[in-house]
Amino acid sequence: MHIGVARRVVLPVAGSLITYLLLLVGGVAYTAIGNSSSDGLVTQMLINAIVVLGIQIYIGNTGVLSFGHMGFGAIAGYAFAVCAISPDRKAVQIPDAPFGLTEVDLTPLQSSLIASLIAVVVAVVIGLGLARSGARSGAVAATVITLALLFVVHEVAKNWIDLTRGGKTGLSFSPLGKVTLQGRGWIYLALLLALLAARLFKETRFGRLAQAAREDDLAARSMGIHPALQQMIALLLSVFVVSIGATLRVFELGSINPRLFFFKYTLLTLTMLIVGGRNSVAGSLVGVVVISAGSEITRYLAGPSVDLPALDWILRNGLTDVFLGGSMLGFMIFRPAGLLGDWELDHWLAGRLAKTPVSQLPAGHPVDGHRSEGELHVTGVVVDFGGFRALEGASLTAATDEVVGLIGPNGAGKTTLLNVITGLVPAGGGSVLLDGDALDGRPSYLVARAGIVRTFQNLRLFPALSVEENIAVARLAVAGHLADRPQPEVELLLRVSGLGELRHRRAGELDYGNARRLELARAAAAAPRFLLLDEPTSGMGDRESAEMVHRIRELAELVRAGVVVVDHDLNFITGICDRVYVLDQGKVIAVGTPDEISEDPVVQAAYLGGPVNRSN
Amino acid sequence: MTELLQQVVDGLGRGGIYALIALGIAVIFGVMHLVNFAHGELITVSAYAAYGLFAAGWDWWLVAPAVVVIAGVTSVVIEFVAFRWVRGAPDFTMLMTSFGVHFLVQAGFVMYVSANFRQFPRPGWIFETWKVGGVSLEVYDLLVILFTLLTLGATYWVLQNTMFGTSLRAAAEDFDAARLMGIRSDRIIRGAFALSGLLAGVAAVFWLMRSGQAGPTAGLSPMLKGVLAALIGGLGSLTGAVLGGVVLGLAEVLLISHLPAGLVGLTDGIVFLLIALLFVFRPQGLITVRRAERV
Repeated sequence: MHIGVARRVVLPVAGSLITYLLLLVGGVAYTAIGNSSSDGLVTQMLINAIVVLGIQIYIGNTGVLSFGHMGFGAIAGYAFAVCAISPDRKAVQIPDAPFGLTEVDLTPLQSSLIASLIAVVVAVVIGLGLARSGARSGAVAATVITLALLFVVHEVAKNWIDLTRGGKTGLSFSPLGKVTLQGRGWIYLALLLALLAARLFKETRFGRLAQAAREDDLAARSMGIHPALQQMIALLLSVFVVSIGATLRVFELGSINPRLFFFKYTLLTLTMLIVGGRNSVAGSLVGVVVISAGSEITRYLAGPSVDLPALDWILRNGLTDVFLGGSMLGFMIFRPAGLLGDWELDHWLAGRLAKTPVSQLPAGHPVDGHRSEGELHVTGVVVDFGGFRALEGASLTAATDEVVGLIGPNGAGKTTLLNVITGLVPAGGGSVLLDGDALDGRPSYLVARAGIVRTFQNLRLFPALSVEENIAVARLAVAGHLADRPQPEVELLLRVSGLGELRHRRAGELDYGNARRLELARAAAAAPRFLLLDEPTSGMGDRESAEMVHRIRELAELVRAGVVVVDHDLNFITGICDRVYVLDQGKVIAVGTPDEISEDPVVQAAYLGGPVNRSN
Repeated sequence: MTELLQQVVDGLGRGGIYALIALGIAVIFGVMHLVNFAHGELITVSAYAAYGLFAAGWDWWLVAPAVVVIAGVTSVVIEFVAFRWVRGAPDFTMLMTSFGVHFLVQAGFVMYVSANFRQFPRPGWIFETWKVGGVSLEVYDLLVILFTLLTLGATYWVLQNTMFGTSLRAAAEDFDAARLMGIRSDRIIRGAFALSGLLAGVAAVFWLMRSGQAGPTAGLSPMLKGVLAALIGGLGSLTGAVLGGVVLGLAEVLLISHLPAGLVGLTDGIVFLLIALLFVFRPQGLITVRRAERV
């Protein structure tokens, strides 16, 4: 566990502190050597950094593209202004504010915290909506909901004159619009906290499970992860941090109007995040620095002090926005992961400090505990797709001490049956019982926690996560939901699957055979009572699939799980199964030992169309 | 009754334009799973083209077809410059790319033309109204409805009777399968962008007849309406997109006429809110096209 604490707490904190100091030293140095405007620029950059870190917590961990964070920013910004502006100033600007808000007189710190909490409360509602809409990485409905928030808040800010003084003038702290924030102390503190929050969140259970769902929503749910919960927590933390940044921005400017947190600022902050690398906390900060510098340079070039008639056509007003839009587009096309991808300073440090030689890997211990006897009972399952009846009363039983095969021609309904058992497809009839408990109707993450874990025909790993993390996340997803089922250690699974040397590789970089092995190890990590394998040897040659027989048996033995395996390859099925079900046109047409099945005339007619001795 | 009829006519006028925009968005979603938030830029470009052509002394009769062609060409150019590179990329990347194009085109017009809106003449005669049994029919609405029907008819014919149309429908039905069947994705995608651009061009003509101005953000509102309509229609479904546009148009007209006076300024916000609620309760859209994820 010590290694875990070092890797997930100590090093990230150390890395964050180093990054923080670098940023501060850079900022202070630039303020010192720069001209009169550089002080304000650095202050703005630090505030933008807080906001971008806040956005990173949500977009980075969940992959859901939110355009609504500036909507939250506007809510917090206005709430802050309404609370913090002195009553005499409010009497001039918004004498008719509702709820007696004109009289409210709070300190900036109180106002900032209250404003951020208000934004978080709104975020709870939006988060519930996002969850209902099935938010996942790249989901359009989620993006539109967040856009809706941005627009609705903007319209309300423009039209609720009593509270916001409308769109033309906005609210200001002092008559002359003087800067109100003295010194950068609060900004420094908020930035440090934002940085730690963003970096540590990535290592929390919520963050890691959210990242798995970001990589593959369906696989995550089938591993026992409830993405909506992780996304909600990410959203609330993210909105809190963004809101603190927004209140600082308002305080620093000394005023707020509806345009302050609208498309322009959304574009700026999102470009920073994307250019730096949205999955990396260090990357977000790099993005902030690079884009701030770039914006300044383009602003300077387009300004009056540069006079290059030859380049006049490009050095114009608006160059900064072209730079922002162009950066966003360019990075999406040529480097969608951003400058740093998912690099973090502490990962790099860890790599430097501790190069664990592969030979010194701990040996790992086999899982202790008795074999828990259990049975999976699938009875009379019916599934209709429109007019097509995919399953027509299919039944199957499996015990935890056997390997059951499911074969049948294409379209027989094999995968559909697995989908019904794992809660991905609702059944129109029939039942699925695990030790007598009904599973049908349960969402897939609960089915996984109950002990039924599957793999996918088309291989669904968490590609951007390391091999090790793929397995670790699967353990984490079901931890605490296992009753007394023992979980195999990550080390053990790595060793048994022969993936020890590849542990730090990204799963997406593995070759096909290793990827299949990883998917199997990941499923075993969830301590299943039943492993459901969908064509584990598809695309494999004879030798590989023979090796797969061995590996599946070994892993099933290790976690003491029963196996239900779907496959086309008869050699493989006969090599591994104790019993075989034959499915045809949604119905089970035969059950028996592999030998019985291969001699059954009904099966030969329906499925094999001839003698069994098929050679590849 | 007359009032309702009046609103239906007004709503169809609005909805027709939305339907054309949404159909273009759905066509592109069908062939590359991209929700094109840059679709409105076609209208922005059209608006500036119209402004330029009027400045050159052209008349609406000539400007209208020119605008349609320009929108079609622009669409293909945008595909060639930007979207071609992100084919098959993760949804997040494509979504962000389309926003990138959106922001970049907008910023380009601010830089090279002006942040201010430019006015051009609106054809006065189209706002004349005929009274028919208490319902006042605006020539404009009738024109929009007529041309929407003609355009949809032509599109339908193309989709049903040409090789291109068949491939496009197949791709919209099942993108991967269509590719496996040997449909040339390159040609289909380019064709889809052209078609989508032409549809946007027709929509732009009518949009501009009413707005009579060109500005960097001219395409924002039509784009949002189009995306919303396509989403109401369940994305990817071509029929759904058209119905979504009509539903959106009617909903807006009904909202405007039934909202208390103080809230009319918030119409767009309220429409947005309602649609957000729609996604919360029916994430697959109003008109459902079953598309189970293959596992």
